[in-house]
Amino acid sequence: MERCPASFEVPLGGAARVEGEKMKVIFMDLNRCIYCRTCEVACEREHDRHTHMSVVLLNERYSVPMNCRHCEKSPCVVVCPTRALTRLGNGPVITETMKCIGCRLCAMVCPFGVPEFDSSSGVMRKCDQCIHRLNEGKAPACVVTCPARALTYDEVDTIMQKVKERAAKAIISGVGLEPGVLVRPPDSRH
Amino acid sequence: MGSGAMTNPIPDLGNAQCIFIIGSNLTENHPIVSQWVLDAKESGAKIIAADPRYTPTVWMADIFLQLKPGTDIALLNGLMHIIIKEKLYNQDFINRRTTGFAQLQEAVEEYDPSMVEEITGVSSHLLREAAGLYAQAKAAGIVYCMGITQHTCGHDNVLSCSNLALLCGQVGRPGTGVLPLRGQTNVQGACDMGALAGFLPGYVNVADPNGRERIARLWGRENLPDQPGLTVVEMMNAAWEGKIKGIYVMGENPLVSDPHSHHVEEALKKLDFLVVQDMFLSETAQLAHIVLPAASWVEKEGSLTNTERRVQWARKAIHPIDETKADWQIICQVANQLGLQYNYACPEDILHEINKVIPAYSGITPERIKGRAGGLIWPCPTFDHPGTPILHSETFRTADGLGKFIPVKHQPPAELTDEEYPLLLTTGRVVMHYNAGSMTRRSAPLLKRSPELFVEIHPRDARKLGISAHEEVKIITRRGDTLARANITSKLSPGIVFMPFHFAGTNILTIDALDKRAKIPEFKVAACRITKNI
Repeated sequence: MERCPASFEVPLGGAARVEGEKMKVIFMDLNRCIYCRTCEVACEREHDRHTHMSVVLLNERYSVPMNCRHCEKSPCVVVCPTRALTRLGNGPVITETMKCIGCRLCAMVCPFGVPEFDSSSGVMRKCDQCIHRLNEGKAPACVVTCPARALTYDEVDTIMQKVKERAAKAIISGVGLEPGVLVRPPDSRH
Repeated sequence: MGSGAMTNPIPDLGNAQCIFIIGSNLTENHPIVSQWVLDAKESGAKIIAADPRYTPTVWMADIFLQLKPGTDIALLNGLMHIIIKEKLYNQDFINRRTTGFAQLQEAVEEYDPSMVEEITGVSSHLLREAAGLYAQAKAAGIVYCMGITQHTCGHDNVLSCSNLALLCGQVGRPGTGVLPLRGQTNVQGACDMGALAGFLPGYVNVADPNGRERIARLWGRENLPDQPGLTVVEMMNAAWEGKIKGIYVMGENPLVSDPHSHHVEEALKKLDFLVVQDMFLSETAQLAHIVLPAASWVEKEGSLTNTERRVQWARKAIHPIDETKADWQIICQVANQLGLQYNYACPEDILHEINKVIPAYSGITPERIKGRAGGLIWPCPTFDHPGTPILHSETFRTADGLGKFIPVKHQPPAELTDEEYPLLLTTGRVVMHYNAGSMTRRSAPLLKRSPELFVEIHPRDARKLGISAHEEVKIITRRGDTLARANITSKLSPGIVFMPFHFAGTNILTIDALDKRAKIPEFKVAACRITKNI
């Protein structure tokens, strides 16, 4: 019998969104990502050998960790015919795999190509923000594992405040904001 | 400077205003270190990276010096030439803290930017820019790694880095220093303990009669050998010549990690007795007469000295599985069978002995470091000493306390490209694997992301050879040949190819030419040719 996925054990269903309380997100600082893919491996360890994080390398220069954005207006939740995809209060959008019929509609509407089809169990899988860890008061595994501290788990306003402070500091110290202007990606150099 | 270790701890990089990374792909090989390089960058520090390849480490750089492999001295001397010509050096520091400036000045005189550009391929305007940034920063650090050391001129490359830091007075303060990154949890500790061919614990030279006598007395011995032993490649040569009959290998896989694998295999097969102590039945262990099963790091306890000279206590998470034992227990049992008396009951006993034998470790007792997050950084000579995160703040660890300029000259690598072998092969590592791959090639999540040996080749060379992407190609050197998947990329310059050494194959190709002093093999430069595999 298939091992019961961790996300299914979480009490679900109609958790009302709390007014004024903000959701925490996994925020990627693209200037800090070094394409080590440690987040992918950490996710895989936490989710029974399925990774929900995928770092995409562009032009051998730009590394973008792609995972579920847990959108406020989630297209995947809207189209899911069996309501397998639900949002937990102000928390993550998660999959109740027992309800999933594997129709792949969520994959079709996701702007980020996040949901993946698990052929061994016939259901869709996606990031659950490590709900089992959140319930223990811990941050998602990808965030705590990132060796470059490129990933942060916090409310977006808190993160933006830090970015503002950093930019302000750079303005004051007269340092340009454009990173690495003398270094161009390899394609344009040869 | 008189010390073979990082002068400043890793987080101190965050205080630098300029970081010069040379011969280190730290984002792939020491990913954690990137945290503080990125922090420094976010605070406005300028990053200079010198590497033959456009690695993810170079992504962080403001200036990229893409030098030809094996031309580091020319590059560093070129920087010093500019710094001296433009009077950007730190005269006060040179006067107070160093000797030999005149000789350095003379030695770098000929390295004008146009000559350096010819040797290294680095344009003179980038060189000038880099020289200005490093010399004029309030605090600038140099980070280097195997790209500096794994050359026949590796020892001189290191001296060159040290000369540059002394010239600009970029040492002995927060955010400065020379930071050689070491690769293993305890490789600094192994060197400190005298696991080197010519040194006793605490870097006491075997030729030093007083030091030798002191340690012999502490160990209750009449005397200790006064001649250096052999380094690893020398051992393989001696085994091949029949001069060594037995080798005891611990936690190492020389059949994959040593240069010129065919020669290593022949040498190991000639031995009368080969013992391998390892967690896994590695390629080398498969040739052994006896394999001693060693416990993994989660199954054992003791002190470790990391690359920062930081001594920390590691606790075990689980008991050793099956019949495996911690390395120290195996060594003690073997020693006692040989009639030696190794009466250590626990790892604490061993650290207590280290406290007695190595003055820099005297204050680093198990009792102190066990309850202390972050441990203690040597030198820590007394029980109430807080440790010394930054070396050389007042004096250098030399006889007269002064930093010595030791000028060095550019030397070409042992093997140059020619008509028969027109491509320059350089080797290194990828983020998914560790060393000879004995552990990481057994991890499914890592292996699926980096499953096989590949060779990076520039599109221009690939086109010339009619090689298409992902095609299996044959790489041939004077030592042998191997197959690898072609990875066509502009990360490196035409004429240069790169292979990681985590898979058996790469070191079939590498040359076993050694540095005269340090005896490190030249993994970074070999001449090769590539053909389609038909």
